[in-house]
Amino acid sequence: MVPLENYLVLSAIMFSLGVYGVLTRRNAVLILMSVELMLNAVSLNFVAFASYLDPSKIIGAVFAVFVITVAAAEVGLALAIIIRLYRNRSTANVDEVATLKW
Amino acid sequence: MGADQAWILVALPAAAFVVLALCGRWLPRQGDVLAVLAIGASLVLYFFVLHDFLHQRDGLVNSHEYWSIAMHHTWSNVGNFNLNFGTYVDPLSAVMVGVVTIAGTLITIFSIGYMKGEVRYWWFFAVLMGFIAAKLMLVLSDNLLLLYFAWEGVGVCSFLLIGFYWEKRSAAEAAKKAFITTRIGDVGLLIGIILLWKATGTFNIQDILTAATTGQIGHVYLFVSLMFIFLGAMGKSALFPFHVWLPDAMEGPTPVSALIHAATMVVAGVYLIARLLPAFEVVPASLLVVTIVGLVTAILTGFMALATTDIKKVLAYSTIGQLGFMYIALGCSHPDAAIMHLMTHAFFKSLLFLAAGSVIIGTHHNQDMKQLGGLWRKMPITAVTFLIGSLALAAVPPFSGFWSKDEIFHGTTAWNGGWVTFLLGFAAVLTALYTTRLFVRTFLGKPQDQAVYDNAHETGPVMVLPLIILALITCVAGFTVFNGVGRAMGFPGGFTEFVFLHEPERFVMNWSWAAASAVIAFGGVFLAGWIYWGNRITISTRLADWQPGVYNMLVNKFYFDDLYQAGIDRGLLGFSYVVSWFDRYVVNDTGVDGVADTTRYSGSILKYVQTGKVPAYALGIALGAVGLAIAGLVVRG
Amino acid sequence: MATEVLWWIFAIITVAATAGTVFSKSVIHSAIFLIGSLAGVGVMYVFLVVDFLALVQFLIYGGAVTVLILLALMVTRADPTGRPEDTDGPQKPFGVVVGGAIMAILIGVAVSTSWPNDVSDKAHGIPIDTISQKLFIDFGPPFVIASALLLVALIGAIILARHEEGE
Repeated sequence: MVPLENYLVLSAIMFSLGVYGVLTRRNAVLILMSVELMLNAVSLNFVAFASYLDPSKIIGAVFAVFVITVAAAEVGLALAIIIRLYRNRSTANVDEVATLKW
Repeated sequence: MGADQAWILVALPAAAFVVLALCGRWLPRQGDVLAVLAIGASLVLYFFVLHDFLHQRDGLVNSHEYWSIAMHHTWSNVGNFNLNFGTYVDPLSAVMVGVVTIAGTLITIFSIGYMKGEVRYWWFFAVLMGFIAAKLMLVLSDNLLLLYFAWEGVGVCSFLLIGFYWEKRSAAEAAKKAFITTRIGDVGLLIGIILLWKATGTFNIQDILTAATTGQIGHVYLFVSLMFIFLGAMGKSALFPFHVWLPDAMEGPTPVSALIHAATMVVAGVYLIARLLPAFEVVPASLLVVTIVGLVTAILTGFMALATTDIKKVLAYSTIGQLGFMYIALGCSHPDAAIMHLMTHAFFKSLLFLAAGSVIIGTHHNQDMKQLGGLWRKMPITAVTFLIGSLALAAVPPFSGFWSKDEIFHGTTAWNGGWVTFLLGFAAVLTALYTTRLFVRTFLGKPQDQAVYDNAHETGPVMVLPLIILALITCVAGFTVFNGVGRAMGFPGGFTEFVFLHEPERFVMNWSWAAASAVIAFGGVFLAGWIYWGNRITISTRLADWQPGVYNMLVNKFYFDDLYQAGIDRGLLGFSYVVSWFDRYVVNDTGVDGVADTTRYSGSILKYVQTGKVPAYALGIALGAVGLAIAGLVVRG
Repeated sequence: MATEVLWWIFAIITVAATAGTVFSKSVIHSAIFLIGSLAGVGVMYVFLVVDFLALVQFLIYGGAVTVLILLALMVTRADPTGRPEDTDGPQKPFGVVVGGAIMAILIGVAVSTSWPNDVSDKAHGIPIDTISQKLFIDFGPPFVIASALLLVALIGAIILARHEEGE
């Protein structure tokens, strides 16, 4: 059987790549995709821990369901914001929108 | 209604105060009827309480057992700090409540006539009720903290009433003076209460007295805290050197003066000391201080009264003098004599003040005796009642003042050497002197100002009736000194024993003492009569011319006011200049502005961190997460 | 043994797809790699014997979310051909450092910790009614709140994306 560490390492790689994407990408949609990667990594972590450590084997799945719910809401809202941004500024690149400063 | 419901006596005037203060303006007759009803109901209920109280005492086997009815309610418990409040009815507070309710009722009725047509008529009655309620709470409270609240309530109400005509600058100044002067004493009282609380852990008066008499408090500590409490009593009772506020307090309406002098304000100090007297007796030095302050006050104010021509101010000085007498009695461990004098004084002094108010109304607001004289033809009832009050004040037998003052004389023998007795006799002569002068120059002789005399008239029944009642009380109140009279009235064992059962010492009518004090009184009266009656006023004028320095000193009230003013000008204003400098440059420039400048400067630098770029913020978050993770690993090892 | 080999194959595919998502120069390619990555996670759920969750993952992520993202890309981009462009910002070196640091920390902790690898007690096909009981009974209130969250997000998204007067 696959040991728990494998899942954890896989999830860590996914999460780190997500962080890299969030920090590097300019396009807001791509940043959103990276955030989705991070969320998935966390969900995977939850489920793996639950399968190996939780006696009921099920709490992780429940949490993953909630994470998916929140992620769906988040994607919907974020895309609405991005469309709004694009309509006002004709760009979806976040580093071109920098008026909220001193 | 039993004695354990004594709080109702307080609640009635307090409720009247609230109602009148909130909506008295719109009530019919501006609510004066409500005020009279409230205090009248308190008076009636007082007799029920008294009856129940005496009735409960009949059940006691030992007639000399001190008895009281206490009631406690928990106020708040914070940790091991337990605050209870309640009423405490014992003979002392029963007598005080009686004085306050009787005098308060008559004065309230009198006010209807005196204040007719004045501005803020409703407000006057509202504060009057608050005044009486605060005083009743003061004498009924079973702990020092509640007593202090009531004490401050009395102070506030007196401030409002003295400054009732606040449009007049002198009235506003007088109110301020009264409030600030008594406040100095109040701070002392608060310190004393806190000191006693620290030593005993309770505010309950009886517990504190028990602790003091059983020696649980060190003598020096007890002396210091009692002196602080006495400071509060001195401020409230206008004793030397706090006497300056009382004559100025005459700026208030005359019924207020009567109330302040007779029942509610100045005697609060006497009550407080009488209440705590067992503790004072533990430290004889504190009794000596009380006696000396009383003596100095009595003699000084006697001189001042001789040089004053305002009727009400003469009465004010006489009040301070009589308070001095009471404190002398307290200092001699004769609270019974002090309370006796307090009671008789309450009646004859409110009589005198109301009669003076009647004179003022009858002569259309003229209260300078230089312009009065011969008024007895115009105002016979006022003159007769004023005469009765004056004779009582001068301690002429058989009026009430004679009996109570005689008891004080007798009490002074507690101090060896007779010096107290001698000085007290001197003060008594002064009292008789200025009292007679006051009466003679106001009512007898020739009119000094014909226009004032021609327009003078007797006042209406609502004002004359309280005068007559008070005059009757003044005539007979003194006889309670005889234990048989007290017993007949239902007070077990006579009046003294009723007030202080735990020291079953009855009034002793020593006839030689009585004769001596009668001689003193008559001497003073005849001397004054000789000087001031029959156009021999020139004698006093010549005296003034002979020693202008002394006369000026008396007219200027021994320069105390100037001394205090100079103290305020130099000391207080100088100190406040330093404080304001500190506030302006240290607190404001360095502290307040400094904080603002620092914030603004650091903000002007740090604002460049805000790039407005989302990736930079994300980087910040990520770096923070990494930092936290590393820190967690390091801490965990 | 066959399971482990399969696991390794899918794990490598998942990591590769994830890397493609974040490294690809074309946004359309990124989106397609994202589908692969999310599907890989779904496969991992199958390996963990949580079939229901795998189904949800495929449907919601692989279907709905990805389609939504592709749609957004098309709406916000003038050139939908997938031509390479400058998709990475100037923070790339920092991203490498921070991402690497997080990966190092997470992997280090995951490997160095000794887990109670209780393989024998591993779940076998969790029935869907167990999940529903957990979800609707034990986690009832959060479930209701989550539904409210979805509703609010729905309304918010509509209001935000609406074409307003005067725009």
